[in-house]
Amino acid sequence: MTDAQNPQGTPDAGAPSAAPAEQAAPQQPPQQAQPGASAPAGTPQPGQGQGHGRPPGQGQFRSHGGGGRPGGGRGPGGGGGRFGRPREGGGPGGPGGPRKGKRQYFRKKKVCRFCVDKVDFIDYKKVETLTPFIQERGKILPRRMTGTCSRHQRWLNVAIKHARNIALLPFATEL
Amino acid sequence: MEERLYDLIFICRPATPEEEVTKITQTLEHAATERGGKIEKSENWGTKRMAYRVAKSREGIYVYLQIKGTHGDMMKELERRLKVAEPVVKFQTIRLDEEMKRQKKLSDARAKKLARRPKRPAPEQQQTAQQAG
Repeated sequence: MTDAQNPQGTPDAGAPSAAPAEQAAPQQPPQQAQPGASAPAGTPQPGQGQGHGRPPGQGQFRSHGGGGRPGGGRGPGGGGGRFGRPREGGGPGGPGGPRKGKRQYFRKKKVCRFCVDKVDFIDYKKVETLTPFIQERGKILPRRMTGTCSRHQRWLNVAIKHARNIALLPFATEL
Repeated sequence: MEERLYDLIFICRPATPEEEVTKITQTLEHAATERGGKIEKSENWGTKRMAYRVAKSREGIYVYLQIKGTHGDMMKELERRLKVAEPVVKFQTIRLDEEMKRQKKLSDARAKKLARRPKRPAPEQQQTAQQAG
């Protein structure tokens, strides 16, 4: 390392003109930053290119954005590409995938519990009936979580708010 | 004037003696009946843990009243009394008659539907019986 720096250092020192010194100055910091013994083998810029030879290739597959990144950032970026690739490859890779995928995501249809029980009136005083529809922190759960129908959700909202007012249910949990 | 149904819940401090709570409820009931109201339900739920802190305590004595009345002034008077009553920390009055009207309408419609329904399966059963025969 020290041997590699010295030979380059001497020509820089030897050059009297200002322009070469300025050119040399940007080259030196990358050399110092690279701790490995591979640095003296070649000039710094090709060295960086060899070190991250694979990631740019992946970057082309993924997107054009990877090429613009600094050398240091490419390492992890390339890693992300390795993980990201199978995901992206999976979509077009299996032509039947997307169509089947929708069916694979089939969930059991949620049914409004109040409709099942044929509830015509949600009593705010019965806390047991309301608690399944609030979060631990006291938030009202959305319809998409509980499957309640719109009509019953409306009644439920009112009932929960009445119950909150009279301290049967929390507005928000406190310690 | 149409009749209105109200729910009235009030919470007393947990330290208030039993007699005082009953006294308050009695005065409220009295005030309601005086103004043409009718007490439908009167329940003392006892000391309950509240969901959040009210008046620096997490417990309170809940009393529940259901009152039928014709004048809005009645509830106004009850609320005024609750505000004045020292041991009462929280109260809530809710008008219920419209909800109940809606509920009755829905349950009536359901009952009608149910009454109509038994006629339908009957022919199906006959058909199946014929098929079986």
